[in-house]
Amino acid sequence: MDVLTQLAHGFEVALAPLNLFLAFAGAFLGTLIGALPGIGPVNGVAILIPIAYALKLPPESALILLAGVYYGAEYGGRISSILLNVPGDAGAVITTLDGYPMAQKGKAGEALALSALSSFIGGTLAVIGLTLFAPLLAEWAIRFGPAEYFALMVFAFTTLASLAGKNPAKALVASIFGLMLATVGIDPGSGVPRFTFGELKLYDGVDFLVVAIGLFAISEVLTLMEHSFLGTAQRVKVETALVSMKTFLTSLWSILRGSLIGFFIGVLPGAGASIASAVAYTTEKRLVDHEGSFGTGDPRGVAAPEAANNAASGGAMVPMLTLGVPGSGTTAVLLGALMMFNVTPGPLIFEQRSEVVWGLIASMYIGNAMLLVLNLPLVGWFARILTVPRWFLVPSIAALSFIGVYAVNNSAFDLLFMTGIGVVGYLMRKAGFPLAPVILGLVLGRLMEINLRRALAISGGDCSILFASPLSKALWALALLSLLFPWLVGRLGRRGR
Amino acid sequence: MDPSRRSDRIVGVLLLLLSIGYGLEALRLQADTGYLADPLGPRAFPLLLAAGLAALSLYLISRPDLDPAWPPPRVLRGQLAMLVSFVVYSYALAPLGFLLATTLEMAFLSRLFGASWRTGLQGGLGLAVVLYVIFVFGLGIPLPLGSWWPA
Repeated sequence: MDVLTQLAHGFEVALAPLNLFLAFAGAFLGTLIGALPGIGPVNGVAILIPIAYALKLPPESALILLAGVYYGAEYGGRISSILLNVPGDAGAVITTLDGYPMAQKGKAGEALALSALSSFIGGTLAVIGLTLFAPLLAEWAIRFGPAEYFALMVFAFTTLASLAGKNPAKALVASIFGLMLATVGIDPGSGVPRFTFGELKLYDGVDFLVVAIGLFAISEVLTLMEHSFLGTAQRVKVETALVSMKTFLTSLWSILRGSLIGFFIGVLPGAGASIASAVAYTTEKRLVDHEGSFGTGDPRGVAAPEAANNAASGGAMVPMLTLGVPGSGTTAVLLGALMMFNVTPGPLIFEQRSEVVWGLIASMYIGNAMLLVLNLPLVGWFARILTVPRWFLVPSIAALSFIGVYAVNNSAFDLLFMTGIGVVGYLMRKAGFPLAPVILGLVLGRLMEINLRRALAISGGDCSILFASPLSKALWALALLSLLFPWLVGRLGRRGR
Repeated sequence: MDPSRRSDRIVGVLLLLLSIGYGLEALRLQADTGYLADPLGPRAFPLLLAAGLAALSLYLISRPDLDPAWPPPRVLRGQLAMLVSFVVYSYALAPLGFLLATTLEMAFLSRLFGASWRTGLQGGLGLAVVLYVIFVFGLGIPLPLGSWWPA
């Protein structure tokens, strides 16, 4: 009952004209960003943060806009997957498997309509899950002490390490690199400047935005320089996006299973939309593909991953909001944005800043409905966006990154720093180091250190406090297990063969 | 030594150097620890990170992955040109003003991505004007007009 009153308050916030407009703007821009290959949700959110910041939006409004871009991108990603066989973002890779064959059979409109509906169902079910689970988790997490928090953050890094890339060691390196960046600046505990080399600009720490935009957007532009494929799409025409009731009903169970899988994978730290859609697809293939039609344009092969990637983006909000520990690169960027607005997510946010959380949750119901409308009748318009030539699109991403970073501090130093981080990001991508852990490390670094120091202050310097409570023991065990997970899977796989 | 696994070894050595440098810098931090409120002090966490990174870099040196496909010289030259233009743009933005600097930068980048100078300049000017109008008049976010021009 309490949840419903809170949600009603949330709707009051979300239905305010400004927030309603921002939810729409987020959904629209998100679809656009998702649809364009080359800019994914991380880049889109990162580039929009400085604008939201410079506009001095209240935190809940900024979050409504940025989150709209995040889940909206999961809708948009499918468009180029289906029409061009080029995924619009990482979560839509799997959608190419059956989406593009459907388009080749002349069923592009059907694939687009079905995937829009699946996205809507997956997205909405995930928001319902968020509404129900987040307050429960927050209530439970209030009992976390500093030792438990420290263990929880270690757990977040280890799951991200075992899931984010091929080589867990490289993901751990990326995490430590992010944590190291977070230690730059005045030490909050003692007031000593650390790793600033006398540079006054670094006393406040490394600017989160500059790193996020450099790491994702600038490195992306450098990467896009490599591929001269992708050519500007031939004329893509989609007149009507309609799906027959029959196709929809045969896919319904796949959609529901995909949503469930997506939500729970999204909640796990480290596993985001791309893993969720892959798991949903393989599950459906195993369960319902009796005729071997998956991969040849089976509608269920489009429906399940699309439901899953949207549900995952909703699920990823749960740990970000309730624990303050994000589950994906994009939610890490969202968390960083919230901190810029002086809101610290965590269990207390539901009491102290309820207008922010519940306003956001309510806006996600509205945003998903808006997205369904945007993505059914207007899908042809978004498809036309795909014909924007690359020589214009890629430089525009660079220009927007530069303006965004410049708008915050009007500083050339920030622009150079962003370019430098972009080079680092590019080299990391090439050498197989995932980027998301860097952002997670940068965003969580201070909290992680503060909690470690608080825990040891309580125990008077005795390290055993970190493993004292049953909860922290369980979290350490989970962290260890998640690190060993890829190795265990490898061994079992070998034995199975 | 396997020549096809050189990249990770080089990265590993660089990371090892980073961890040593970072660790030494952490050791220099004043260690007025030992008082009750903060037994760890400002050094402990960075030292922990340095130790972790050192261990991981040794692992990387001993178990390197296969080298990635580094881009061919033609692409590398393009990327380098792009980076140089970013640096120039960073410095040129305030004196030249947003409109001129962005138009030129966009034209240059468009050229790198295969457009002609003419189309690049047109596209660049169009984008610069649209962004200027949106940011300055729509969103009220000031962009530099250029300190070189008489007001």
